Amino acid sequence: MTTVISTRGLQKHFGRTIALDGLDFSVEAGEIHGFLGPNGAGKSTTIRILLGLARATGGEATLFGRDPWTDAADLHRRVAYVPGDVALWPNFSGGEAIDLLTRLRGGMTDKTAYRERKERLLEVFQLDPKKKGRAYSKGNRQKVALVAAFATPAELYVLDEPTSGLDPLMEQVFNREIDRVARDGATVLLSSHILSEVEELCERVTIIRAGEVVESGTLAELRHLTRTEIAFVHDPAKEAAVAALPGTHDLVIDEGRVRFTVDSDRVADFLPDLGRLGVQGLTVAPPSLEDLFLRHYGDELAPVEEEARA
Amino acid sequence: MTRLLVLLRQRIRRDRLQLALWILGTALLAYASISAVFSTYGEEQDRREILGVAIATRTILVFRGTPNGIDDGAFAFFLLFAWLALMGGLMSTFLAVRHTRKEEEEGRAEAIAATPAGRILPTTATVIHGVLANVALGLFIALALIANGLDATGSMVWGAAITVSGIAFVAFGLFTAQLFRTSRGANSLSVTFVLAAYLLRGIGDAAGTPSDDLLHVTPAWPSWLSPIGYGQFTGAYVQNDLTPLLIPLAFAAALIGLVFALQAVRDQGASLLAGRAGRATAGPVLSSSFGLAWRLNTPILLSWTAGGIATGLLATSLSSVVDQAATDAPQILDTLRRAIGSEASIEEAFVAVFYSIVGILAACCAVQVGIRARQEEAHGTAELVLGTRVPRLRWLLEYWIVGVIVIVIVLAASALAGIAGAGTAADPESLIPNVLEAAAAQLPACLVFLGLTLLVFAFVPRATIAVGWTVVGVAAILGVWGPILQAPEWLVDLSPFAHSPVPAGGETDWTGGFWMLAIGLAAGAVAVWSMRRRELASGG
Ligand SMILES: Nc1ncnc2c1ncn2[C@@H]1O[C@H](COP(=O)(O)OP(=O)(O)O)[C@@H](O)[C@H]1O
Ligand SMILES: [Mg+2]
Repeated sequence: MTTVISTRGLQKHFGRTIALDGLDFSVEAGEIHGFLGPNGAGKSTTIRILLGLARATGGEATLFGRDPWTDAADLHRRVAYVPGDVALWPNFSGGEAIDLLTRLRGGMTDKTAYRERKERLLEVFQLDPKKKGRAYSKGNRQKVALVAAFATPAELYVLDEPTSGLDPLMEQVFNREIDRVARDGATVLLSSHILSEVEELCERVTIIRAGEVVESGTLAELRHLTRTEIAFVHDPAKEAAVAALPGTHDLVIDEGRVRFTVDSDRVADFLPDLGRLGVQGLTVAPPSLEDLFLRHYGDELAPVEEEARA
Repeated sequence: MTRLLVLLRQRIRRDRLQLALWILGTALLAYASISAVFSTYGEEQDRREILGVAIATRTILVFRGTPNGIDDGAFAFFLLFAWLALMGGLMSTFLAVRHTRKEEEEGRAEAIAATPAGRILPTTATVIHGVLANVALGLFIALALIANGLDATGSMVWGAAITVSGIAFVAFGLFTAQLFRTSRGANSLSVTFVLAAYLLRGIGDAAGTPSDDLLHVTPAWPSWLSPIGYGQFTGAYVQNDLTPLLIPLAFAAALIGLVFALQAVRDQGASLLAGRAGRATAGPVLSSSFGLAWRLNTPILLSWTAGGIATGLLATSLSSVVDQAATDAPQILDTLRRAIGSEASIEEAFVAVFYSIVGILAACCAVQVGIRARQEEAHGTAELVLGTRVPRLRWLLEYWIVGVIVIVIVLAASALAGIAGAGTAADPESLIPNVLEAAAAQLPACLVFLGLTLLVFAFVPRATIAVGWTVVGVAAILGVWGPILQAPEWLVDLSPFAHSPVPAGGETDWTGGFWMLAIGLAAGAVAVWSMRRRELASGG
């Protein structure tokens, strides 16, 4: 397997702020890689360095084995990028922006094929290409950038929180497009601050916090780190039986409901017991990134939040 | 009634800091400028001379007013009224749009319209608010004038003229708010209207009929199209005539009536002009990053080229008038020569002065191209472009090339306009090479400003906009008006414009031009080359 993205000891300082503090991670070819971290963790900064839009203060970053700062334009032939905060030209329509970006990426070689892809994407994303840039909402600006990114095949898709402005229906459309490009063998780096958003798509994730990697691996490997919350209607008659269940944590009874957490890789083991107890109004909440941080880095959570706000 | 008061109070509260700054700032500006004028032009002879120059060169009148004698009040009115009215106009249209279309656009107006206040009352409150703000502006300006020792009646007439022209602009701002869907659209049309009002009266003054003593001018008809022009017709301190103000008042009343009629029939949030739909696919220009840079700068180019054409036309078409004026008042020629710093025939001197203004216009256009690059970067669209195959260095290089092209176009258009206008001159053929040389002589200074702006962009990106405009503005004042105002030589020499070659008196000294050419090209090259090491500096 070839490595598409690799960073070693990557550092980025903005004056006094240390945005990246020795970041190490890598993405292999053909992988859909989730890049997770709370707001302000340094995701966008890393991505901008990988695209040669910002320069590392220290350490090393390579894209397809080359230096993104010196070879930016050449490397961009192989990359499609959707920035975290998509800005469009206020006076150009969405359709004009999509065509312009495609031409700048050199994607107009086969015009009919391009036009077909563009039409299809406009259709599935339900985007009106005739509106002026200033008239689009955040979600629609994001769609413009996504259509431009998917309308020309690339070897690597770098998407910075691409679904943050999309509604759930559009998220499904987005997931299908990611599946499609992945089937064609492309590599995808997908950043997000919501774990469940990348769960469906990514085989591997890297979780960063305050400019450093805290976890990296397959989602299965990370399951042990997270706990799933199980809750159901409280029935005093069954209280003793519930309390006797093995492997539960943080059991509370609150507002008429029983709540506890179990290790995420052991959820299935509990289902027979719960069935036997005949519980009512059962909910199983997937683990969240926030949860993970609370559980494993709880003592340091407060400063993270402060940084995110800064 | 109480609802109206609530809405009015809310407007005043929201604007109190902003309006206090506008009103007190403008009044202070009036106070300070008048003190400066009286100390610079204390002597009657100085005033006679500057009025003579102004009437001879005409362009100065565009930026000043209607000469109406050399008495303290009338002289101050000539120098400052139009400028203060321009400030009041901008204050008024921004105020009107801010409380109407902006509110609708942001959806806040909908919340108000859902209360018993309804859809119409907020507009009424905005009208009253705008009138009050302009009354305050007129009053404070009058006080500033009286504080300078000027006659009270004349000062009150001046203040009234400011108030009335401001009310006309409030009405126009409200009208544009009905037309457009966005506050941006409404603001840009109303700012254009304010600038047009200023320029129309400027053209009226410049094209007016001078009196025999060269101390008075009767404005030409364009002044009759401008609220600021009617303000000047009051002849504060001399005629003290308020009747001309009835016309802008009637204009405002009619427009406000129309605004209420429109407001009554349209939906909340809707506009008279529907937002135009864009095209679904990009045209051929938008197929390269150079095409993009060009497209983004076309509107800028068009407006400065229009200015260049107008100035070029005036330069030669008015020269016969100057001939006459110079025969009547030979001291004008001395002052003109002082301005351009060489021995010249009167027509050459005239062309030289006008084309130095063309040079400023072209330089401003070039500065704005550099600023456009910064706006692309700050807005985030440069990131989209640089995320494709466009290298950083080439990206800025293309802005530089566009900058050079716009300079050449503005200068060429003004030269062509000058040649077209030369038809009325006594000896058109001899004027043509002079015009061509004068236009070409502006190129080096413009390249210096383009290079400087790009240098600032490369090394202190966040300061690009402020530094770009400040440098070109200060240099223009020093280089073109400095010699007329008899500023110290070393100060004038700081301005690139002061080193533009002056094609007059047969021999043209191009040394300054070659130096500036070298400096301008070097600055541009350093700026472009520095992009190798520069990362994107978004925001701020
Ligand atoms: N241009 C900049 N100047 C100063 N600080 C910055 C800049 N860009 C990012 N930062 C800081 O770097 C940190 C990481 O930011 P970012 O990479 O945008 O985080 P994320 O994308 O994970 O939310 C934050 O603390 C942010 O405030
Ligand atoms: Mg981000």
